[in-house]
Amino acid sequence: MSAGTQSAQRPRVAVERAAGETVVTHEDVDRAHDRARVWKARSGHGLRAWAWLLWLLIGPGILVMLGENDGPSMLSYAATGAKFGVGFFIPFVILTFVMALVVQEMTVRLGAATHRGHAELIFERFGPFWGWFSMIDLGIGNFLTLITEFIAIRAGLGFFGVPAWAAVLLSLAVLYSALLSHRYWTWERVTLAAAAFNLVFVPVALLAHPDWSAIGHALGTWKPLPGLDKDTVLIVLSDIGATVTPWMLFFQQSATVDKGMTAKDIHFGRIDTLIGAGLAALAALGAMLAAAPLFGHISADSFEAAQFAQALEPIIGRFGASLFALGMVEAGIVAAITISTSSAYAFGEVTRRPHSLNLPVLEGKSFYAVLGLCAAAAAGIVLIPGLPLVFVVLVVNVVAVLAMPPALVFLYMLVNDKEIMGGVRSPRWANALAALVVVLLTAAGVLYGISVVAPQALARLGGS
Amino acid sequence: MTKMPEQISNADTGLVLSALEPDQLAAAKNVLVPRRKLAGAELTVLWALRIYVLFMLAVVFWQAWSAAR
Repeated sequence: MSAGTQSAQRPRVAVERAAGETVVTHEDVDRAHDRARVWKARSGHGLRAWAWLLWLLIGPGILVMLGENDGPSMLSYAATGAKFGVGFFIPFVILTFVMALVVQEMTVRLGAATHRGHAELIFERFGPFWGWFSMIDLGIGNFLTLITEFIAIRAGLGFFGVPAWAAVLLSLAVLYSALLSHRYWTWERVTLAAAAFNLVFVPVALLAHPDWSAIGHALGTWKPLPGLDKDTVLIVLSDIGATVTPWMLFFQQSATVDKGMTAKDIHFGRIDTLIGAGLAALAALGAMLAAAPLFGHISADSFEAAQFAQALEPIIGRFGASLFALGMVEAGIVAAITISTSSAYAFGEVTRRPHSLNLPVLEGKSFYAVLGLCAAAAAGIVLIPGLPLVFVVLVVNVVAVLAMPPALVFLYMLVNDKEIMGGVRSPRWANALAALVVVLLTAAGVLYGISVVAPQALARLGGS
Repeated sequence: MTKMPEQISNADTGLVLSALEPDQLAAAKNVLVPRRKLAGAELTVLWALRIYVLFMLAVVFWQAWSAAR
């Protein structure tokens, strides 16, 4: 009998607990079936066996990277292309994905070595005082970001004339249906299939006939450079926040644990994250290049998804504009799924309640309730008329960048903690890279602060 | 001793115990990771970053509020 059939037939019962005894739950049984397939694949030889093992072990890395290519991120990349054309930001965005790779690799090791989520490790290792600070950062960031996902979905479907209420209901239906199996593996594969649609921005970019020599020049020289002013700093921060954010740390570590990965799987976890970063970078550059023809023609600072699609229609045609709008919808839906899951994982870890996508509903009521209610509340807010939603879109990526350095310091301390990491502690070179990322993110935040509080000082820095 | 809800079969229990590492079991989450005392330098960095975040958040909200108005 296959694992899937067994899972479908299993009865739903409450978890029993008893001190001093090994307690086996349905969550354990589901995870064990997944692990048994991994062990079997690992005993094989040759390229085919390796590819099968990779297929079984990929997931959290690709999901987190494509999940972060969300509504506000894709809008940020499109706004970058429209505002600055092809130049400095092409290699810069690739650099931000390298930063994301460095950071996310640490969460793979942490999750695989400790079998604990990020929130519970911070709470247990550093105490509730620092734990709650992290939770507040995560909670505010996740909820604001979730709102922007539904804004993107509403705007994307609005391009096709779908009313806002229908767009929101449709996206909630997709989100809830991904949970119906109560099985991590099925949820992961369904969400991966949806996330693959993020690559739709690549054909959209090709329809815009990008200037390949300008792209090559930008990649080789990082030129033309933008002027150092308030707008540039805001876009820099926005593009960093589109790639490196706190929810990604919490999500990938918890998903690595929920998937059942162990220290033996770290190598494949790294490949998974690398593939995710590569695909996400491709989609991000696609959005940027698709909007690059708008450079010098319009001001796209506060464009929503539908407005970008409309502005691009004369250049890439109705088909291309429709793909662009659909890409925004996909970006919003996949991010809504992953971000609400990240909130539910963190809630369960902190309150010590069951938290797994392998849980039957009755055993994981609080987990599924948090997941569903977060998404429903964010979706509901989008439907309230007259709310200054543009305010949320403006701040969400910037807030993510500002909240990252403290989150990274916790991550850094945890992956260097010999007591919990044993032999998979961070090597010196990984620590140096992580420290560099913290310094870069903090410097970007400080530069942003200067641009707001003392713009004349920024002008002097920029030489004007 | 292994205890399980009666609807979980012995075969599944055997699979769990052979395929999962002991601390991968859901019940293992009840055992807390021991608390670590933070060093003075670590506390200084954490507090500095906390103040940085709070100050910068105020700047962001002020700027976004002005822009939205």
